[in-house]
Amino acid sequence: MTGSVSAGLAQQLAAAVDQLRHITVQVRTHRAATGAGILWDGGESEGRGLVITNAHVIRGDRATIELSDGTVARARVVARDPKRDLAALEFESWRAMVSIVIRDSPPLRVGELVIAIGHPGGLVGAATLGIVHRAESEGAGRTPRWIRADVRLAPGFSGGPLAYTAGRLVGVNTMMQGGLALAIPAAAVEAWVRRSHALVAP
Amino acid sequence: MSTALQSLSTELADAVESAGRAVVAIHARRRIPASGVHWRPGAVVATHHTISRDENITVTLPDGTTAPASLAGRDPGTDLAVLKLAGQSAPTANRRTDAPPKVGELVIALGRPGPSLTASWGVVSRVDGPWRTWQGDEIDSLVRLDLAIYDGFSGGPLIDAGGRVLGINTSALARGVPVTIPVATVEHVVTELMERGTIRRAYLGIGTQPVRVPESLARKLELESDVALLIVSLESGGPADRDGMLLGDVLLELDGAAVNDPGDILAKLGGDRVGKPIAVRVIRGGQLKTLQVSPGERPKSRAA
Repeated sequence: MTGSVSAGLAQQLAAAVDQLRHITVQVRTHRAATGAGILWDGGESEGRGLVITNAHVIRGDRATIELSDGTVARARVVARDPKRDLAALEFESWRAMVSIVIRDSPPLRVGELVIAIGHPGGLVGAATLGIVHRAESEGAGRTPRWIRADVRLAPGFSGGPLAYTAGRLVGVNTMMQGGLALAIPAAAVEAWVRRSHALVAP
Repeated sequence: MSTALQSLSTELADAVESAGRAVVAIHARRRIPASGVHWRPGAVVATHHTISRDENITVTLPDGTTAPASLAGRDPGTDLAVLKLAGQSAPTANRRTDAPPKVGELVIALGRPGPSLTASWGVVSRVDGPWRTWQGDEIDSLVRLDLAIYDGFSGGPLIDAGGRVLGINTSALARGVPVTIPVATVEHVVTELMERGTIRRAYLGIGTQPVRVPESLARKLELESDVALLIVSLESGGPADRDGMLLGDVLLELDGAAVNDPGDILAKLGGDRVGKPIAVRVIRGGQLKTLQVSPGERPKSRAA
């Protein structure tokens, strides 16, 4: 029976990664290395898709995105917040696509498994597995500034998803600090999208 | 959907949560607090190198309360320090003593460099027999880790996937490579430091260097090994000097066991040997000679 548990784990991990790859896009701008982005809204309703990434991934106000199925689309920056290191990109979408499911409760526990997806060194859809390093003590319902995870990220993971094993998003991978990954909490990103998207909505 | 994966995730978080109840933050240096483990009721284990002051130490318990602690003692040789914590009913570490860590075993390193618990995970990358730290102290087994070191790593526990403590982590004993001081060594040091405040180690007051005994002499004296230790320094008035050893003696055996390396001498000089004569076999003037030397108690900051 030895190995049956790990074989099952490996299969389930591969399935979880596969699911996450569908919501992870490549973001390319002129003269900048490829970053990652999250398919936030598949654009079922208005024919416009929305991708969220880090502000530092994008130079200028246009970018090319490539979806996991190879579809390439031109996108324009509709919101950008260098201080929070977030940017929103809009693109024309002509079909419904799966988009993210956010996990904001129950709160993350230290030791829980998390998966990061990105494109380090042009390796598209790479995955890394780690655990939650610290559960930020949220002061009275305040969203913590960062999610800290013991996950090895490389350049190219920026802007991509950090997700719980069930595929739900927990944050946007943003940087490494002292060997640990820092991700912007999904709830904070969601609030930011709602706020800034309202401003630019036609 | 992905059940085994989610169960593993939950089990790891459960292990962290239960073991974390015995992990404390120690305020005994500038900037970031250090981690420690409530090992036995009233005794907190930490790493020596993260406790930079001997007084004015406080401990933040997992429930967020802060309590004063006093330093019971330090053992730089194993990089351990023990603090006394009065009147606390906080949980103590659940130690795993029935099975040593295995190479490839999934492990978690916990820390508490402040109010919140922190963790990194990885695997045990190497397990070996007893080893000596650069200060000459023996650690029961070598446990090297493949995982990320972060602020608060040293002094925190290494736990298994079931939340049981395998030892105390430090990054200061093996040139930055994370190692775990196993439970047996920690138990020993805690007992000694709580009782005596210091770790007793025997010493002879000699400096040695390995030398090759000429083949003809080795044959004449019927030696089993042709490597021995030349006495190159002798502490004046020290135990060896007092009991008749001379500069230039070539040390062959201690207590009936051959010595080929200065480490072999240290291995014979545990704290329980202080004052108890050891048979010392040497070559002096081409002849074999056996002396009785009583090791003294090693003063702090001296090697062998």
